[in-house]
Amino acid sequence: MNGQTPQHALAHRALGTRVFYAAPLLALVIPLFANPYTQFIVNLTLVYVLVTVGFNLVLGNLGQLAFANTALFGIGAYTAAILMAHAGWPFWAAIPPAGAAGAAAGFLASVTALRGIRNYYLAIVTLAFGELLRWSYIHGEALSGGTDGLTVRHADFFGIALESETARFYVFLLIVTVIVKAVSNLMRSKIGRAIVAIRDNELATASLAIPTGRYIVLAFTLSGFVVGIAGSLFAVLIGQVIPESFGLIELILHFAMVLVGGLGSLFGSVLGALALTALPEFFRPFPGLYEMFFGGLLIVFLLIQPRGLSALCAKRWPALRDRYYRER
Amino acid sequence: MFFLQLALSGLAQGAIYALVALSMCVVYRATTVVNFGHGDLVMAGAFVVYLLVVLAGLPFPASAIAAVALLFILGALIEIGLIERIKAGPHIGFALMCIAVGYLLRGAARAVWGREVLPMPRVFDFPPVMLGELVVTADALVIFSAVGVLLMLFFGLFYRTSAGRIMQAVCQSERGAALVGINVRAFHGVMWGVGAAMGAIGGVLVAPLTLLHPGLGAGFLIKGFAAMTLGGFGSLGGAVAGGLLLGVAEQWVGGYVSTKLIDITAYLVIILVLALRPSGLFGQAVAERV
Amino acid sequence: MKPFVHLLRPCIAIVAYALATTASAADTAGITDTAIKIGVMAPLTGSGSSYSKAEIGLDAYYKWVNDQGGVNGRKIETVLEDYACDSTKGIAAVKKLIHQDKVFMLHGNSCSAVAMAIKPVVLEAGIPWVIAHAANGAISSPATKNIFHGVPVGKTMGLAMGRFVMTKPGVAKVAVIQHTDDWAKSYCGPAMEFLASQSIKPVVEVALERGQTDATAQTLRIKQANPDFVIACLYEAETAIFLKDAKKFGLNAPVMGTAGTDLENTLKRVGDLDTVANYFVPHMYADNLDGPRLKRFVDILKKYYPSESVTAFSLISMGGGAAVVEALKRSGRDLSREKFIAELDKTRDFDTGVLAGRITWTAADRDGVKEVGIAGFVSGKPTVLKAWGQRL
Repeated sequence: MNGQTPQHALAHRALGTRVFYAAPLLALVIPLFANPYTQFIVNLTLVYVLVTVGFNLVLGNLGQLAFANTALFGIGAYTAAILMAHAGWPFWAAIPPAGAAGAAAGFLASVTALRGIRNYYLAIVTLAFGELLRWSYIHGEALSGGTDGLTVRHADFFGIALESETARFYVFLLIVTVIVKAVSNLMRSKIGRAIVAIRDNELATASLAIPTGRYIVLAFTLSGFVVGIAGSLFAVLIGQVIPESFGLIELILHFAMVLVGGLGSLFGSVLGALALTALPEFFRPFPGLYEMFFGGLLIVFLLIQPRGLSALCAKRWPALRDRYYRER
Repeated sequence: MFFLQLALSGLAQGAIYALVALSMCVVYRATTVVNFGHGDLVMAGAFVVYLLVVLAGLPFPASAIAAVALLFILGALIEIGLIERIKAGPHIGFALMCIAVGYLLRGAARAVWGREVLPMPRVFDFPPVMLGELVVTADALVIFSAVGVLLMLFFGLFYRTSAGRIMQAVCQSERGAALVGINVRAFHGVMWGVGAAMGAIGGVLVAPLTLLHPGLGAGFLIKGFAAMTLGGFGSLGGAVAGGLLLGVAEQWVGGYVSTKLIDITAYLVIILVLALRPSGLFGQAVAERV
Repeated sequence: MKPFVHLLRPCIAIVAYALATTASAADTAGITDTAIKIGVMAPLTGSGSSYSKAEIGLDAYYKWVNDQGGVNGRKIETVLEDYACDSTKGIAAVKKLIHQDKVFMLHGNSCSAVAMAIKPVVLEAGIPWVIAHAANGAISSPATKNIFHGVPVGKTMGLAMGRFVMTKPGVAKVAVIQHTDDWAKSYCGPAMEFLASQSIKPVVEVALERGQTDATAQTLRIKQANPDFVIACLYEAETAIFLKDAKKFGLNAPVMGTAGTDLENTLKRVGDLDTVANYFVPHMYADNLDGPRLKRFVDILKKYYPSESVTAFSLISMGGGAAVVEALKRSGRDLSREKFIAELDKTRDFDTGVLAGRITWTAADRDGVKEVGIAGFVSGKPTVLKAWGQRL
């Protein structure tokens, strides 16, 4: 594609693997330099890394417009909060159900794809689905606590009490690393390649006897699983789950993270989450201007760098390029 | 009486939904782009009117015309300056661009207005008309007549004039239209302008009814989608019918079932229609068989 | 993989070291020879930005205090942080104020849900926090070491609303219309609890969501129930829409609103006196917004924020500000958080000049303001009322 020999490619792959493992190891020292405020922002970044990785599966890899991501995020957070607050489960036990609930929601949001609903129609269905879920949080008071929401206290991760930002950081880092690695492996599997193939040409993919409708639903389900787990981390980090947290403004943030990081790029997801969680903090002295800046930033990226920060980095350091993704 | 009064209020609301849905539909039909930032154009229309009426002291009709003209230019600029330039990319780019533009508009409105929630001075202040026991307010009458005139104008232009036929031709086949010498790019710009201007009229009509705040547009976007979906995505007449139906449905649901459901009627409509009859009431089949 | 195995031990050492160290805040942080730093969290942006008028008023008040010479030789330095009525941003803002700006105390927050989210953070840090505007009583009670309520809580206002409704002779049927959010619930909840204690159950309860531009269905349903009084926990715009529809459809019952609206601005929005003649609101102030007793405070706001319009929110946090300044003065030049909290707890029947109720804080009860009035139109003029048809 760009004149690489197989040897080069192998060398790059080895380097890429090292980068993958070195990053979380280097991150271990962050708490030594952070105060509780900066550590909170770092923890929030980790949550958004998962959100973006999950969302990118649908938006970037599958190439389908979807608006249900905050719904998946919310259902994960609510599932974890309900299990912890009502049933007294420890945090670690609430994580898999949160992922499962997110996956179920992803499945439901996209099930119309089996009937041939695509593109804008699917996008609008997912939008309606997300807002319906938010409505049910508000009115399902017995479970969800209504508009007051649920309070999450005393998160327990296999005996470690997640009371400080530092403790949360190490647990989050572990979970995020494991899941990002899993998604990375998945995207290089048959399933991942089929999903990308649907984005590039659904008709051609279908002609290879790949049931594209089912793969679309599968991609949404997987995305729901990852984003649902992100939701459970969010519930513990904020200590509170309320319907307001999962509205349309949050959704625009998720979109922006995927776009700024790079559609379809795992590495980009990390970059996007990093950039857009940290950036608002630098805008604190100018509260009125952030929205305008944010909208402008998206426009500039769409016009000038539609492949996001990851493509920019990959151009400079080819080792960082995602292996399952190629420039079209 | 209860039933009819609900229907009447629903029609007044529905007329605005219809206008918003139609304006989104125009853009979609002409350019195959769904404008996910359309609600913010509605908001922008209302804000410009407020600016002109309250701060510049212009009379309401003049301000309304100026706002609609301004939004026409804005819409055309968005298409030519932004949408046209990412034509080569994936269709997700269009949606994100529309969302980004909407967000920028909202941010700009907030930067100008800050913390204030703005009351619009009363514009048409005459007593309600009684039809037997039915109450028809001045606001409703103004909305009905404005939307009625606009629809007649629009459909007259679109289906009866040669300019309208050219538009239909471009909607049918862009390449064919380009081959016979029609400037398709200019056409796209104009249609975006028309869409934005019609959305702005919706905003202008709503402005006197409610308080203005930068987040005004989000609700209209959803109602517009629901109306479009109900009427059949891309069907111009369907968008109007869908809007009116949605408005009435909301009131009936609120009146007979629960007022808590009014806010999600639009979402329920979207899901039910796309799950049961994706082509809507008047549209063609949408499912892409592969 | 092999190099990573060698890294395992140092990694564990780093993690263990990081977990063992904890940040602690000094008792005198935020105080210099010339200044006292106060963190003010306000929803300056986002959908709740009109609430932040309260904190803007507070900021103006502290600036005015400085121009009068400050407190014990120190100027008050406010650090305004936006949180957009969002819990995540709220936690970030309060952590920044405590751990990065190292403020002496906090005086802020309008949105109750966000206040509940940051409560554990503030408790852990032990830093004094006077709640500027958020009405949820659960933020300050049961009493904790360091959290104080500087405005009447929702329960106080809901109780006043319920009591006033009951003073109308022959009230038996009450209807409720409200937004489905925590703000509306903080008013309507306690009001309905009080009515329930008088064995009155609402004849009909309807929802009007924020942003709706029509209330026909709601109004007609209320009218069918033919209530003697309507309790409306609605925001400014929706209050105007509901009142207009009530008049349009001949719903003549009086309407009890919330402190989120005020009579003057509601009249301006609705346009004619006839529509608001039967509208009542809890009144937290010592006078009408344009009355002589409040003029001093309106002038303070206008001096530092000349373009700011005055609404029911604008002056609400100034009362707490006055109590804070008083306690700072009593704490003396040799200031510490512990001393300051002890002085706050000695606040008894403090007349702020701006609020209708006086502020009393004790170690066991931090719900400072327990009285509010009710205001309504009497012969076309906003008037504070004692009971139905009785002036104060």
